[in-house]
Amino acid sequence: MVERKLRTISDVICPFCGTLCDDLEVDVDIKEETIVEIRNGCQIGTKKFFSSNPSGHRYTKPRIKENDSFKEVSWDEAFDKAAEILISAKRPLLYGFSSTECEAQSKGVELAELLGGILDNTASVCHGPSLLAIQDVGAPMATLGDFKNRADLVIFWGSNPVHAHPRHLGRYSEFVRGYFRKDGRNDRFIVVVDPRNTHTAQIADLFIQIKPSEDYELLNAIRAMVRGVELDEKEISGVPMEKIKELVNILKTCNFGVIFFGMGLTQSLAHHRNIDAAISLVRELNDHTKFLLMPMRGHYNVTGANIVFAWNTGYAYSIDFSKGYPRYNPGEFSSVDLLMRDEIDASLIVASDPASNFPAASVKNLFKHPLISIEPHETPTSANADINFPAAIAGIECEGTAYRMDSVPIRLRKVKDAPGKCLSDKEILEKLIEKIKEKKGE
Amino acid sequence: MSLNNLILLTGRTINQGVALEGGKTTKENVRAAAICTFDKEDFKKLDCLVGTPVKVITDYGEVMVYSTISEEGPHKGIIFIPLGPWANQVVNPDTQSCGTPTYKGMKAKVEVVKNGNVLDALDLIKTLKVA
Repeated sequence: MVERKLRTISDVICPFCGTLCDDLEVDVDIKEETIVEIRNGCQIGTKKFFSSNPSGHRYTKPRIKENDSFKEVSWDEAFDKAAEILISAKRPLLYGFSSTECEAQSKGVELAELLGGILDNTASVCHGPSLLAIQDVGAPMATLGDFKNRADLVIFWGSNPVHAHPRHLGRYSEFVRGYFRKDGRNDRFIVVVDPRNTHTAQIADLFIQIKPSEDYELLNAIRAMVRGVELDEKEISGVPMEKIKELVNILKTCNFGVIFFGMGLTQSLAHHRNIDAAISLVRELNDHTKFLLMPMRGHYNVTGANIVFAWNTGYAYSIDFSKGYPRYNPGEFSSVDLLMRDEIDASLIVASDPASNFPAASVKNLFKHPLISIEPHETPTSANADINFPAAIAGIECEGTAYRMDSVPIRLRKVKDAPGKCLSDKEILEKLIEKIKEKKGE
Repeated sequence: MSLNNLILLTGRTINQGVALEGGKTTKENVRAAAICTFDKEDFKKLDCLVGTPVKVITDYGEVMVYSTISEEGPHKGIIFIPLGPWANQVVNPDTQSCGTPTYKGMKAKVEVVKNGNVLDALDLIKTLKVA
């Protein structure tokens, strides 16, 4: 038996979800330059590391679509064609950016400004409403360490971390022992508000089963009851009054409470009004005790995308450069709305898969126009693109910075080389910017 | 063999997360995300075996997926499709001018289609390109 020579890298950051776990250990086969073992990762993160190994659906060379089939081309040819598409477009959309590092996001902003295009990230279809509400009424937040060390009441509202952020419970919110919560799970009271008895709800102390899309009513009823108003109702949003009274009592008497909220609030009918009500509730609860809240960010660096876009342009997402300066208006410059109005005429998708994740009607319009994809793997978006740029995976095959869901920046590590001729997202965008400048004579 | 007046929710599942990282164009992704989970009592009314294809119909479209019983029940009257291309055939694209489509809370009905053809991700998305 041939013995494998391994290189072990410790304290590796997992580039999957916004929890951004920083304690992974990765074994890399030195000869093959492939990952053979991952320790401490969740199921999804572990799979992401393994998927960086060469496979049938990993891109290694740039490709251009001709007559409905792809042909491998040189980087120069691919940049040339992509630059032509983007320069000749009147309203190009640059979308994605949440599963890549901040340095690439910054280059995305530069490119959007150069093209006079529209710049958007995936917050547009997930926590965009949270950002709108935060802009309206502020955000009483803290870093995850505060929740770990202090929180004795943890509420998951419209969020199912057992599935979406598998190690969040163990590292920050439920089972973990903290400085003032020495007995871990036994020192915390867990509440889940959800229409389904989710796996997170099944391990909670109190499960509030709410009717779908009626979070706004329940949040405002709780706000009224926290202020001492008696409501003449038997139930609100399908929740019996006794249960709401029990919850209100728990909210007011805890030492340090936190609401972690997810897509259940942002993607249901009331969108940002739900978050507005949740933030207002948290603000009012601070008359009684210490209370904070935190959006459960999905992509590992969607927080970074918002921050990088905001420090470059003033706005976190849905940004239009067509007038030469940045303008912000979700609903007008947000990707799905633009596509539903069939307003764009070319798109550059960076580290994202809108063909899978946008509503079907908007995907139809995305496919009508030239599509350029910067993506390590075959996805429904890249398979239907006109140009594929094979990217190295940030956080596995190249370094970079990412922001955790609580806006703490963490440096991503490189554990192995990318296969084939892959370049990092940042390098691809840099070269594309150079090529466009050259063609425009700038 | 059909159910009306259901509410459709969509969202992340760990199997869907693992499958998408393992390859969005794989069969594993079909098994993880091309499914509709039912409340146990609702599923009995469908009078079919677990895994039988069902057509989920909303005001915004229809899609064929495999049926299964929810591990996260009871949630009577609610059906759940993991996020992904299948769910997105039937979600409400209206963003109420905030940018985010209404991915949760659509009225839906379901029909059992015993010989139904559940498409894989690439074939399903290809239908949007031809149309």
